Amino acid sequence: MSDEHDHHDHASGPAAPEPVTPDDAGSQALAEALRSSFVIVKLVMVALVVIFLGSGFFQVGTQEKAIILRFGKTVGQGQEALLGPGLHWSFPYPIDEVVRIPITEIQKVVSTIGWFAETPEQELSGNLPPPGPSLVPGVDGYVITADRNIIHTRATLYYQVDDPIRYELDFVSASNTIQHVLNNALLNTAARFKVDDILYGDVAGFQDAVEQRVSALADQERLGITVKQCNVMSIPPRQLKSVFDQVTEARQNLNKVLDDAHSYENQATNSSAAQASAIISEARSAQARYVQSVQADAKAFSALLPNYELNPGLFRQQQLVQVMGQALTNVDFKTYLPTTANGKPIELRLMLNREPPGPKSGAPAQP
Amino acid sequence: MKRNLITLITGAVLIVIFALLLFVFQVRQSEVAVVTTFGKITRVADPGAHLKWPWPIQRVYKFDERTQNFQDKFSENLTADSITLLTSVYVGWRISDPSEFLNSFKDGSVFSAQSQIESMLTSAKSAVVGNHPLADFVNADPNQLEFDQIQAQIEQALQSELHTNSYGIQIEFLGIQQLGLPESVTQAVFDRMKSERNILISRAQNEGQAEAIKIRANADRQANETLADAQAEATRIEGEGVAEAAKTLPVFQKDPGLANFLLSIDAIKQALNQRSTLFFDDRIPPFDLFHGALTNVPGH
Repeated sequence: MSDEHDHHDHASGPAAPEPVTPDDAGSQALAEALRSSFVIVKLVMVALVVIFLGSGFFQVGTQEKAIILRFGKTVGQGQEALLGPGLHWSFPYPIDEVVRIPITEIQKVVSTIGWFAETPEQELSGNLPPPGPSLVPGVDGYVITADRNIIHTRATLYYQVDDPIRYELDFVSASNTIQHVLNNALLNTAARFKVDDILYGDVAGFQDAVEQRVSALADQERLGITVKQCNVMSIPPRQLKSVFDQVTEARQNLNKVLDDAHSYENQATNSSAAQASAIISEARSAQARYVQSVQADAKAFSALLPNYELNPGLFRQQQLVQVMGQALTNVDFKTYLPTTANGKPIELRLMLNREPPGPKSGAPAQP
Repeated sequence: MKRNLITLITGAVLIVIFALLLFVFQVRQSEVAVVTTFGKITRVADPGAHLKWPWPIQRVYKFDERTQNFQDKFSENLTADSITLLTSVYVGWRISDPSEFLNSFKDGSVFSAQSQIESMLTSAKSAVVGNHPLADFVNADPNQLEFDQIQAQIEQALQSELHTNSYGIQIEFLGIQQLGLPESVTQAVFDRMKSERNILISRAQNEGQAEAIKIRANADRQANETLADAQAEATRIEGEGVAEAAKTLPVFQKDPGLANFLLSIDAIKQALNQRSTLFFDDRIPPFDLFHGALTNVPGH
């Protein structure tokens, strides 16, 4: 456009002002200066237009999506309105407005209802504030369990936005809503669980139930999020910590007592089984020995019988003498009593002082 | 002429911009606008750019159409079984009818709308909470728990109240987010919890002992049974042995005299095996050899 104007100027310029005599060099220099400054102004204007249009370029990062609002209205319908990562262009303000929404980033909210009043320093250091005799409503948070116990519990929810349009454009503060939903889930789940299940018996089950309830409520209210993870921490009231600890201790003792009893049971069963098998095998071997010896005797008997039948008296004598010989080598004291002159045997009187049987007492075996 | 033209164009542009500012307004996505002409509502505008007459002829009120969120403070109510229960709920609401909303609240103030909802909520809560015993709020039995029904009832009461008054407000969701007990009651609850814990402690101890004694007694009984069975088995085996040995009886039967003699021999062998003292005279073989040899008995 400005070029055209320049042409007009050139066309009419020589026609009109040339006949006028250049009366002084000063005005000519002024005209020259004006012209050159006009060129600079034109350049600046062109640059401004370029900058104005160029400012419409914007980048969308990998962790976000963007929506363009033209005169306040979304450009495109539904999911098509979402601009992915890359370079995009929009009209500059006030025609277009770019709204950026973080999505792949995992966001976190913490429940606000179940924990006692605690300063951030105390929370960081892990020192619990000293407990008062009671809990002040509105200051100390807690939940009521199904069996009407009071406990403290805190849930941390990690989630991801998967419907950015809904999340950003339908809620004034979606993260606040999610926090309320988390509180509700925690309260409702605690109202369904017994205190011992929440604290000891079914910690994981409680956590899962909270997570399920959050997911269900988020779907029901169409918050446009996916729950990634939900961590729940629960403790008994600080006022009752010692007595809760005692229960835990008593239960551990119970387990120990039962373990001891079971190990005694094992031992008794095993040792009685071993004894029983020893008794039986001993009986077997005794039986075998006995039967064998009887059979050996029978065999010997059968072998000896013909010799015996030849001359029973001699046989007896023979055997007896043999036994006597053996016996006499073994016997410690042998006393021979010859027949007295009158043919009667010598009368012998003995005073018995028996040695105690065996060296059990360890005493010298002297009579 | 050159200067005139530029001035003209610049002027035109400025006028256009000024006119746009005066005659056009933008409604952002998620907003809704109400246009009043001389104070009377004449138009509701959706997102986009719209034309209007400048002030004081027309005026534009913009409202956030998104769901707003707030939580009320604890309020104290008696349950059906006369327990004082503190409840706090959160409400998601949005402006469903901007004209009604503008008519109900001066300049369409969200703040005054919120306090209006809050006061209605207080009465709705006391009506609903009074109809339920505490067992409807907390219960291990999912069939008896009426948590969600209570929420729905409060929401319904609030919604119908808002609807009757034509506030142009829609409740999107409502949930109980906190239950509480009066401060003095928490102390009583602590006392009860403490005695429950003590019962659990003594139960754990006693049950443990009783169970352990039972296990040990059972173990002893089983061990004794096993041993008794083994003894019985051993006796049976012994009997078998005797029966087996008795089969050899016919062999000895051939000559009982020899059999007895051999048994006696064996018995003597056994008896004289250990340290023993033996007395004998010259009638017993083989010492009968000495008979008469070492004596002065005449005639022998």
